[in-house]
Amino acid sequence: MTGLPGPPDQPRDQHADPHADPHADPHADPHADPLAGPSPEGPGPRDAPGPRAYGPPPVGPPVGLPPAGPSLRLSPRVLLTEPIRTLPSLLLPLTGVLFLGGFSSGSFGWAAFGLVGSVLYAVVRWATFTYQVIGDRLELTRALIGRSVRTIPLERIRGVDVSSPPLHRLLGLAVLRIDTGAGGAKQEGELDGVTLVEAERLKAALLWHARARAARRAGARGTVAAHGGGPAGAAVTVPAGPLPGSPAPAEPVPAGPSPVAAVPPTRHRTGEALPERVLFVVPRRWLAYGPLSGSYLLTPFAFVAGAAGLAFQWGSELRIDGRIVVGAGEWLWGHPLLLAGALVVLVLAMPVLGAAMYAVFNWDFTLRARDGYLVAERGLLTRRSVSLERRRVRGFELVEGLAERWAGVARAWAIVTGLGDSGTRGQLLSAIPRRTALDVVREAVGPILTGLRPHPPVARRRRLFRAVFPWLVTAACAAVAARAWPPLWWAVAVALVLAVLGVPLGLDRYRSLGHTHEGGRLSVRSGSLRRSQVVIEERAVVGWTLRQTWFQRRAGVLTVVAGVGAGSGGYAAIDVGEAQGVAFAAEVTPAWLAPFTEDDPPS
Amino acid sequence: MSDRTERRGDTAGAGSLPGRVPLRPPANPVSRKAIVMWLLDGLFWSVLLVGGAFLLSGWIGDGRWSWLPEWLADGAGWLPALTAVLVVPAALAEPFWRYAVHRWELSGDVVYARSGWIDRQWTFVPVSRIQTVDKKQGTLERVLGLATVDIRTASHAGSSTIKGLDYGVAAALAERLAQRAEELRDDAT
Repeated sequence: MTGLPGPPDQPRDQHADPHADPHADPHADPHADPLAGPSPEGPGPRDAPGPRAYGPPPVGPPVGLPPAGPSLRLSPRVLLTEPIRTLPSLLLPLTGVLFLGGFSSGSFGWAAFGLVGSVLYAVVRWATFTYQVIGDRLELTRALIGRSVRTIPLERIRGVDVSSPPLHRLLGLAVLRIDTGAGGAKQEGELDGVTLVEAERLKAALLWHARARAARRAGARGTVAAHGGGPAGAAVTVPAGPLPGSPAPAEPVPAGPSPVAAVPPTRHRTGEALPERVLFVVPRRWLAYGPLSGSYLLTPFAFVAGAAGLAFQWGSELRIDGRIVVGAGEWLWGHPLLLAGALVVLVLAMPVLGAAMYAVFNWDFTLRARDGYLVAERGLLTRRSVSLERRRVRGFELVEGLAERWAGVARAWAIVTGLGDSGTRGQLLSAIPRRTALDVVREAVGPILTGLRPHPPVARRRRLFRAVFPWLVTAACAAVAARAWPPLWWAVAVALVLAVLGVPLGLDRYRSLGHTHEGGRLSVRSGSLRRSQVVIEERAVVGWTLRQTWFQRRAGVLTVVAGVGAGSGGYAAIDVGEAQGVAFAAEVTPAWLAPFTEDDPPS
Repeated sequence: MSDRTERRGDTAGAGSLPGRVPLRPPANPVSRKAIVMWLLDGLFWSVLLVGGAFLLSGWIGDGRWSWLPEWLADGAGWLPALTAVLVVPAALAEPFWRYAVHRWELSGDVVYARSGWIDRQWTFVPVSRIQTVDKKQGTLERVLGLATVDIRTASHAGSSTIKGLDYGVAAALAERLAQRAEELRDDAT
């Protein structure tokens, strides 16, 4: 046994997870014993006897945390949103009932019964659902027929999302989603229909607990991340209200419902003066970059497809004869000019509708730093706000599509441990000029790594082969088939064109390949149509997989995948030289690979 | 930088004899009984594939697929034979090949495993990052007294599965890993 592989070679990076590397602090060892007394930085909530580990810090009057907060209901205003939301799904059956009943009084009765029923259902749902913070857990209780209680330990909470769909916004409501990192929507808590004020209060309270827990754990380890973003040393004043914490300042939201919540916000961490800082607001003129990514360009077609689907659904509901639909299709087919015109309109609408759609989703994209969290907010109709705990951010991913690269535009995602659905939730920046994106990301997460090491030339051959060969095979197959059915010559031509285009594509794919390791962080890059560069801290690496197909073996390359407990789970350096790849992994985590590498690559 | 490229390119290119990954093989082979397991497994799939090919050729022979070119429809009778020629040798070779490749080792608090046959895979999982260790037995494995150890971290790419271990070896390994992981417990995710 050659010593522990873990901590000694872990990076001392700024976002040091206090729990992950107890050696980050030079004072760590003297305090390794949890009973050795508080470290100088004094993580606030020390472990008090008993299970109430989140007691107040020794700042201000030592008010004990009440073992149980009051049991609360959602805002009664959900009684308006719920039936309205269920209405569309009720509409069809109700209309159906009316039609079937020939608009008789009886059918109206049934329809009314359905409506009243849905309202009653909403009332019952509202009346039977309560939520409550009890000690160190949040309980969501639904006592409809049976009694179901979902318990979310506060220390499991990794993030809280507040969003308000249009209807909610109208009524001043919000949906609060609690991310526990358990994976799967079932495990997560959702409070649909709390007032905005309550949402902010609850969010602040829940996140306060999360930070207090982190501080306590850091304290138990005698370690404090010596970094402003670290959650340790949180000096949090607890108002004597039912729950600690008031809404975060700088929001145009009145302080929480608790009468004492006006306690001055002495809740900054040591070392950070401002509780909230706006890192970046994407100017509206940059919304024009949206369609470059390509995905939004298909919006018109999505609309048409959705409309067609709806038409079919409603058609069958309303008993429109299928023959009419087919007839309409045939008529349309008989007027190719009309069809072509429609297609042209759709194609012309692509950039416009795409841009509009993009703008709706990414309106006023704002990135803030607040209380150890990165908060990304965006959206026009539905304002969506995602809080990412900085302590859990392990790196970022910079994505550039082909058109975006041409325009010098990039998008960025945070790589966060335990964040479900990170594709949508982890986004740090919408499409903005690359230089600005890098500046913002540097401030929010860290600088990008440049000077990527290129992969061996044989990788270029492999990229070319893979970009061209499949289309040649397709062309050959199509050619064989085309001898039987001539129209397929078109397919042959298309495949050949694609094969030719594969040459620049393959070359560019090779140019994108690269990996590096520097300053406790590693980076890999790949892709052409969607080029993605990932920068992660080496302490996020939890293992390595080296893969080599038979073809790769003959070419003397392999794929090195760094297993990371965040983001997509693994980031690959594709087609690295055999010695180079092993050296890369060994460089990042020397202790893990050293016992197994052969010093001199055979030559 | 291009200098470095060339140099690195050369070490990767010329120094190899491609197929020379500078990693020593892990110390321990898997159980010999794993060969039997892979053999049975391969034969099972061979029978399935050849049987499928037989059925397919029967359908084609029925003349339902008239759009097929003449020579293909006529040659359909050869399909099962062709499948068998391709599949059976592979099924016979695979177990021995796999036995040569599949190896594992636990040292320096790192689980190092190699697997695959045509394609290869090396995994390195440090014990300090392990989240769960499972010991599994399929039906065939139970009959043969074998087991699979499944070592999971927070990432699929940082996880490892070691198949074809003797049950006793697997149990001891799982036990030791679980114990050691507990000692090194480290919340790195």
